[in-house]
Amino acid sequence: MKRKALKKLLVANRGEIAIRVMRTARLLGLKTVAIFSEADRGAMHVAFADEARLIGPAPPSESYLNIEAVMRAAIETAADAIHPGYGFLSERPQFARAVEKAGIIFVGPTASAMEAVGDKVAARRLATDAKVPVVPGIETADANSVRAFADKVGYPILVKAAAGGGGRGMRVVAESAALEGALESAAREAKAAFGDGRIFVEKYLARPRHIEVQILGDGYGKIVALGERECSIQRRHQKLIEESPSIAVDDKLRARICDCAIRIAKAAGYRNAGTVEFLLENGEFYLLEVNARLQVEHPITEIRFGCDLVAEQLKIAAGEHIPDPVSPREWALECRITAEDAEHDFRPAIGKVSYLNLPTAPGVRVDTFLTNGAEVSSYYDSLLAKIICHGADREDARRRMLMALDEVTIVGITHTTAFLREVIASDYFGRGELSTHFIEDHFANWRNDVTSEKAALIAAALVASRKLGDAEASVSSANGRVDRGADSPWARLGGFQLWERR
Amino acid sequence: MGTPLKLKRVGGIAEREIEILEVSESRVTARIEGEQVAAQIERLPDGSAMLEIEERRYRIAGSKRPKSIVVAAGPTSAEYQIVEARRGARKGGLTSMSVDAPMPGVILKILVREGGAVSANDPLIVLEAMKTETTLRAESAALIKRICVVVGQRVDHGATLIELAEPLK
Repeated sequence: MKRKALKKLLVANRGEIAIRVMRTARLLGLKTVAIFSEADRGAMHVAFADEARLIGPAPPSESYLNIEAVMRAAIETAADAIHPGYGFLSERPQFARAVEKAGIIFVGPTASAMEAVGDKVAARRLATDAKVPVVPGIETADANSVRAFADKVGYPILVKAAAGGGGRGMRVVAESAALEGALESAAREAKAAFGDGRIFVEKYLARPRHIEVQILGDGYGKIVALGERECSIQRRHQKLIEESPSIAVDDKLRARICDCAIRIAKAAGYRNAGTVEFLLENGEFYLLEVNARLQVEHPITEIRFGCDLVAEQLKIAAGEHIPDPVSPREWALECRITAEDAEHDFRPAIGKVSYLNLPTAPGVRVDTFLTNGAEVSSYYDSLLAKIICHGADREDARRRMLMALDEVTIVGITHTTAFLREVIASDYFGRGELSTHFIEDHFANWRNDVTSEKAALIAAALVASRKLGDAEASVSSANGRVDRGADSPWARLGGFQLWERR
Repeated sequence: MGTPLKLKRVGGIAEREIEILEVSESRVTARIEGEQVAAQIERLPDGSAMLEIEERRYRIAGSKRPKSIVVAAGPTSAEYQIVEARRGARKGGLTSMSVDAPMPGVILKILVREGGAVSANDPLIVLEAMKTETTLRAESAALIKRICVVVGQRVDHGATLIELAEPLK
């Protein structure tokens, strides 16, 4: 592998991850290029970058998922590397190939390593060959074979899409009678959602913990593991809270699980950052899947290992060797704040931020794209901000997180902070009694507490009677823009700068 | 101080009555659903304030929108609509409530009919938005007074979908 000095990085993503990647790129002396859709005019990642290119209308398929448009932007701006972020094109081998074919460096694994681990059936085989335990399963959609398997391991079983990921395309089958129907509908859904109707079946673990290992591989065959993260607190397979280390992993288990992660990565010829996810139940762990990208929750690993994972990714992409990891320190916790209504089934919310206050303190880090006035639309995922706290031990990290969450004040969009605060404050969380069913078990039908409701009502009544400064008025005068509401001609003007049309 | 205000959460049904009794530089007294509540307030230069109520502190801020008020009280966020007080006689103690669209979308299914009765948590209407189907449910027992939309109709954030009335005793 040759060493190549990177000069200009295009970030093929948006939101908080785009800014986060660009910040490190800037620290390393690289120029940055942002791509954006019509809905992201005025977004922070666009203003932050040295250059920006409009690549299409709001819908992801026409913009952030549009390989042609992204490549055009990269070639026009003469970017010599592309970082895909997470989601979007980050795990599309087709994209990685297109990038390499254009003579541009893809900051991530090779397309073939991506393929080797991206297909869940292939990943299971890779794991088995590497002597890494997998969830007992069967790779067929044939109802009779599945029934025999289910009778052997016991119900419930889980039907999964081979080309699926991120918790999508799965069905739990609790009894034999529901089997055929579930296999058929899962295959249909998989075909529609992923263009690939292949499904397979696994035993459904009762109350597992989600434990994942961060791996880094350089282009010279060296793979290192940077400890584990526990991401058990999820809702509909979306992670809400993550922590490192895991309270359920002792040194011996850690050594075994990290070793397995490294073995799979080596077997796949993996390079750059990736995460190997496992399920842990009754002291036994099983491969869940491999994510061939940087993950949302990477900051908690960065804090413990005193590193900048994006910097490591860029260095690996430039042909450098990776050093051995240092001993990790402290405990780190992350809460994902999303634009969802936690009192109403977490339905997605949209809106415009008219007041924003985010925490900062020793041991508190916030990764976000939000600014005062930011618009959150319906086109993209609902992540607003990541609050990351660390402390000497789990309780210390937890206390800082409570204090940090209490300071999160966002007007104009419904968000999950109050819900997350209550989860972190709960005894269940304090005792570390976690499983992927944590939210269902303890926080179904959550409501804001009475005192918080009273405070919100008082705030509303004060705003209504003009006794509390209208935050929107303050924003308008602060930046000289007069916001006259949705039908103002000012709102219809596209984004532009006096000296350059972007 | 002022007239009692009836506030309803956008996307919810329940109405809350609040009356600000007194506001000074450092104190707010309010009556919320009949209960007197006292709080300390400290204003900040950015238009927000620190509110101390029932031994808890909240950074409060808010804005008036064309059809609602959006606020934050620490980590809690809320959007309220002011329910217009009904003038004139209130017939037999019935008050009106409505189910509004919590986000823009398309009406997929209407699961109730006018005149029907629903219990708490009964599904009322299914809305499609952002590639998800959202089912709006009754927050408490009620009568379906009027269905204001049809299947296939596109609705805005805050649009009234169903008008409800208190259930018959």
